Amino acid sequence: MAIDEDRLSETFAALANSTRRAILARLAEGEATVNELAEPFEMTLPAISKHIKVLERAGLVRRGQRAQYRPCALDAAPLGEVSTWAEQYRRVWEARFDRMDDYLTQLRPQRRTGEQDD
Amino acid sequence: MTDKSGSQDAVVIERTLDAPVELIWQMWTDPEHFKAWYGPDGATIPVAKMDVRVGGTRLVSMEMQTPNGPMQMWFTGEYREVVENERLVYTESMSDENGNVLSPADMGMPDGHPTTTEVRVELEDVGGRTKMVMTHSGIPGDSPGAAGWAMAFDKLAAHVRQMTADQN
Repeated sequence: MAIDEDRLSETFAALANSTRRAILARLAEGEATVNELAEPFEMTLPAISKHIKVLERAGLVRRGQRAQYRPCALDAAPLGEVSTWAEQYRRVWEARFDRMDDYLTQLRPQRRTGEQDD
Repeated sequence: MTDKSGSQDAVVIERTLDAPVELIWQMWTDPEHFKAWYGPDGATIPVAKMDVRVGGTRLVSMEMQTPNGPMQMWFTGEYREVVENERLVYTESMSDENGNVLSPADMGMPDGHPTTTEVRVELEDVGGRTKMVMTHSGIPGDSPGAAGWAMAFDKLAAHVRQMTADQN
């Protein structure tokens, strides 16, 4: 399997918190500093920083290298992997239905072929 | 990007099968038929108990060969809609062999992962063949944060698509 399951778990864990989703939604509009991100929340800066660290570990947020300022930016790549993960489910079902199709064929080896005839 | 890729929490598959609806119905509701196709390649379905009526339960086990020996997984659920040869809706959760639901946390999954999913099968007769539409979706709200997660995720995905479009 090409998908990194641990990475996906981290992505889902990061998304499973309303504060972090709000932070991501804000960053989807453009990069922001920790102070700017903290503004809408009744939370201390260290608490917000902690959430941002979780998002960074999940690869959803990148931080600039400029000292002090270090704006946060959204990195959408892991979200692409999430949709690939949904695709994995699709593949499981497609394979099942392929087998159903084969099995249906086995069930009627002698069935007439001209089914379109009325 | 299409709208399809935007619905992250559901898989919808449509197939037209060369068999009458009655037989396709049995594929889903007769354990012997079900066992023949359901398991992933290399897996077997040693147990498929199906009490096919609204409120009836199901219990399915899947056995896979792994390098560390056989691994067995159990799934349980309840039938929600049973309209013979037309529509079958059931829930699915991971469980133990007695049908006790295991929480995603028990399985090492993160918070917000739905405990229960729903499988919906709709059948339609098309001149002796069968059009089958299967929808497998997470059930929002059955686990803490799941509903909010799904909603926020959809919004976020829309944002991201918009952003990507703007950049190109």
